[in-house]
Amino acid sequence: MSAVMEERPTPMQRATAGDADSFAMLIDPLLNPAYRLAAVMLSDRMAAEDAVQEASVKAWRNLRQLRGDESSLRAWFLSIVANECRMTRRRRWWSVVKSADVETELRNDAPSHEAVTDLRRAVARLDPDERLPLVLYFYLDLPLDEVARTLRVSPSAAKSRIYRAARRLRSDLTLEEVS
Amino acid sequence: MSRDFRRDLNREFDAISGQPSPALSARVRAALAEGRPYRTGPFWMAGLAAGLIAAIVVGVLVVASFNRHQTSVLPGTAPTPGSSPSPVATTTPSAMPSQTPPDSNLPPFVCVGPISLAGTHSPMVAFVDAVRSGTHTGYDRVTIEFSNGEPGNVDMSPHEGTTFTQGASGQQVTLQGSTGLLVIIHGADEHTAYNGSTDIKPGYSMLLELRQVEDFEGTVQWGFGLSKTACYRAFYLTNPARLVIDIQNS
Repeated sequence: MSAVMEERPTPMQRATAGDADSFAMLIDPLLNPAYRLAAVMLSDRMAAEDAVQEASVKAWRNLRQLRGDESSLRAWFLSIVANECRMTRRRRWWSVVKSADVETELRNDAPSHEAVTDLRRAVARLDPDERLPLVLYFYLDLPLDEVARTLRVSPSAAKSRIYRAARRLRSDLTLEEVS
Repeated sequence: MSRDFRRDLNREFDAISGQPSPALSARVRAALAEGRPYRTGPFWMAGLAAGLIAAIVVGVLVVASFNRHQTSVLPGTAPTPGSSPSPVATTTPSAMPSQTPPDSNLPPFVCVGPISLAGTHSPMVAFVDAVRSGTHTGYDRVTIEFSNGEPGNVDMSPHEGTTFTQGASGQQVTLQGSTGLLVIIHGADEHTAYNGSTDIKPGYSMLLELRQVEDFEGTVQWGFGLSKTACYRAFYLTNPARLVIDIQNS
């Protein structure tokens, strides 16, 4: 006599089979980083939430294009969010690039106002595709290989992009510092 | 990287992004349950967009009805008088797959400028389900097969160099070879029924590489990397619907 243990399908398997709730559960922890990425790329919080929502639906519809398992989901989803942000900017042809909705409140432990202003100006000068590798690497703290997968480039190309963008903010940066 | 730099940068990013609204998660769940996104923007924008789309669809249908049953070959490349009809229009339903007609019945090779092909009885979206390449005496061939009919329109044009910009991402890819050919298939989709390679390197004498450079919102684009500038032709075959692109190799 033999007993057959039925394995319960994973959330990814259920999502791939068409279960929207399972997919929602999978991407729920990714919504915050996705929103932060979109908000920095678009400099518009409401548009960022719209972009995340639309990207979520696109990801849901194209889930079977995901190569790899659940561990690949974050990079794949963030790359869809970044694409959605690019499309949002193209759609907003009638609008100008917005500056940040809210100014930073200076705190006691903050650097001097002059330094903050310089950095802010430098960040504002970056175009969204230059901000993207910085957001992924510094802000969302993704490892380099995941940054590369999100940007759909090799790790060395991702490192170069981070370096080039960061150099526009701090000219004395060396490549070794982007490790 | 100094910690100060990271900290200062993240502070700036924090200032830009703030926190997402607590309702974002519920919003996304609702959109997923409906299977379609909803926007917070004004309704008039959606109305305007719907109106524009309707106008474009009507325009495309009008143009398609003029172009139906013929291949248009643009600037200075019209088929020579007396040449045989293009097989593009040979879409009479048949139980057997149509074979490639004799060379004399094929459209002439075009050496300069773009080519456009109009589909016949095209579905809203034609699903690519296979992409094949082969080499023959006189030409290298790419066949793109569709599961449900010919796409609405196909544009092909020589491409300077072999660097193509990928749709949606805007990233650039460089293919093997010294010059290129860009194939744009309108009204098509390659992610529903196609699971083959999107970067094929046949390494023929003329056709060195073909790579999908866009599959987005009903447009599929393939870039071809060629060893040198070449004449080319395109036509449809039926049962199943196939777009055939020949690149002269001699």
